[in-house]
Amino acid sequence: MMSAATLLKRTAPVLACVGLLAVWQFASLVLKNDSFPTAIEAIRAVPSILTDKDALINILASLRRMAIGFALALAFSIPLGLMMGRSRAVAAFFNPLLMVIYPVPKAALMPIIMLWLGVGDVSKTLVIFLGVSLPVIYHSFEGAKAVEEKMLWSGAAMGLSAGQRLVRIVLPAALPEILTGCRTGLVLALITMITSEMIARQSGAGNILFNALDMGQYDTVFAMIIIVGMMGICLDAAFERIRARLVRWSEPQFDMPLSFS
Amino acid sequence: MKTNALTGDVLLGLVPIALVIALWQGLVSFGFAPATLLPPPGLVFARLLQQLVTSTFHHEIAATLIRLFGGFSIAVILGVSIGIAAAANPAINAVVRPIVRVLAPLPKVALYPALLLLLGFKHESKIVLVAADALFPILLSTYYGASTVEQKLIWSAMAAGTPRREILFKVVLPAAMPSILTGCRIGLVISCIVVFLAEMITSTDGLGHMLVTAARTFQAVDMFVPLITISLLGLILNGLLQALRSYLLRGFPEA
Repeated sequence: MMSAATLLKRTAPVLACVGLLAVWQFASLVLKNDSFPTAIEAIRAVPSILTDKDALINILASLRRMAIGFALALAFSIPLGLMMGRSRAVAAFFNPLLMVIYPVPKAALMPIIMLWLGVGDVSKTLVIFLGVSLPVIYHSFEGAKAVEEKMLWSGAAMGLSAGQRLVRIVLPAALPEILTGCRTGLVLALITMITSEMIARQSGAGNILFNALDMGQYDTVFAMIIIVGMMGICLDAAFERIRARLVRWSEPQFDMPLSFS
Repeated sequence: MKTNALTGDVLLGLVPIALVIALWQGLVSFGFAPATLLPPPGLVFARLLQQLVTSTFHHEIAATLIRLFGGFSIAVILGVSIGIAAAANPAINAVVRPIVRVLAPLPKVALYPALLLLLGFKHESKIVLVAADALFPILLSTYYGASTVEQKLIWSAMAAGTPRREILFKVVLPAAMPSILTGCRIGLVISCIVVFLAEMITSTDGLGHMLVTAARTFQAVDMFVPLITISLLGLILNGLLQALRSYLLRGFPEA
């Protein structure tokens, strides 16, 4: 009985995927719209994209930019967020600036950054960096703020310097919250990557998507949507694995990625 | 971001914004960046003020706002009702949870081409995209808020004779309100961002379209105007939501 329940729990996301695809299949059969292929047709088009050398190179280049942008953003944002969480002055200094930047769509900076840095990898990576930074800063900030003062006092009493306290006490204590931010940031990196490529229209997965749309290859459009969707789901699941391992000690909290753009 | 606004903090916070503008001015004045690529801030703000009184600009803002509010309202209604239903009923929860797990990390902007094909290039496709993107934060925080309502509150209400169906509106919804409003705030920012991006990718009007048109003709000044406008819109809407929050949550211990 127990194992059946766990089995159901394990397979629930897969069942959900199948269910959604079934709804899609049904909807397209009912609508009978030329530009809305059935789920099966779209899935059939997936292998042809993944075996096409150009498309594959494009997608991999996209993923590489995403990884670099994501890594740089983490290296920059986590220390900043932690410092903001531990020092009121630092928080008061940066908070309003971040609030002003927050509602600006980062991918919308693409045309301006393209003017300065060209359409190459640098500007796309920069946009991803900007997109990922804010949620990571915010979550690191919240996490560092919630660290128990007593632990810091104990650390200080045992002779840790301020920097050591930040690394040895604040960082581990804030880790669950930081990782929540990273998870949001990861989804965000993917979204920013796709969007920036949709806007720059020069290379990458987002470009394949819109080129197919322009040329009326609707099954390719929907197949690309499936590929991008699977990337999002797989990256998220992989990150969840890592997170569970890193913060095994913290009680499992209800957190699902909050998607931003 | 729950800054208890103290004058000192506010002043300190203005410093980096002033620094950014100063740096921006400096880059132009000292000739590090040509004015065609980076127009001086004064010029951009003057242009913004000049645009603000023209009717075409009003039209663009109106188009953006319709999409923003349309999508955001749909997301709030769906998110709050599904979130509460999932928290209240285990059967609904069992269905909603895996679907949300699959759909939440999916980059919704990838659905935009499909929406264009199905709903056309007008308001509808953009509104649906905004709704799809803003839905999940609101749904998740509603679910979280509603499922952490203290059981004692519900028991007290039941002991005082409240019928089961009224408990939802009289106990669960108010108790989950802080969390719901936090979700709405995230959803609102997302709506601002998504509506702008959707308009940039394909549109015939709206602020995002303004930016793209300016970019195509290399009008750097006009590229900054819509960006600043959307940032200001975001700040204003955020402020309004904050005011609504302090009104709705009057009497809550810490909000």
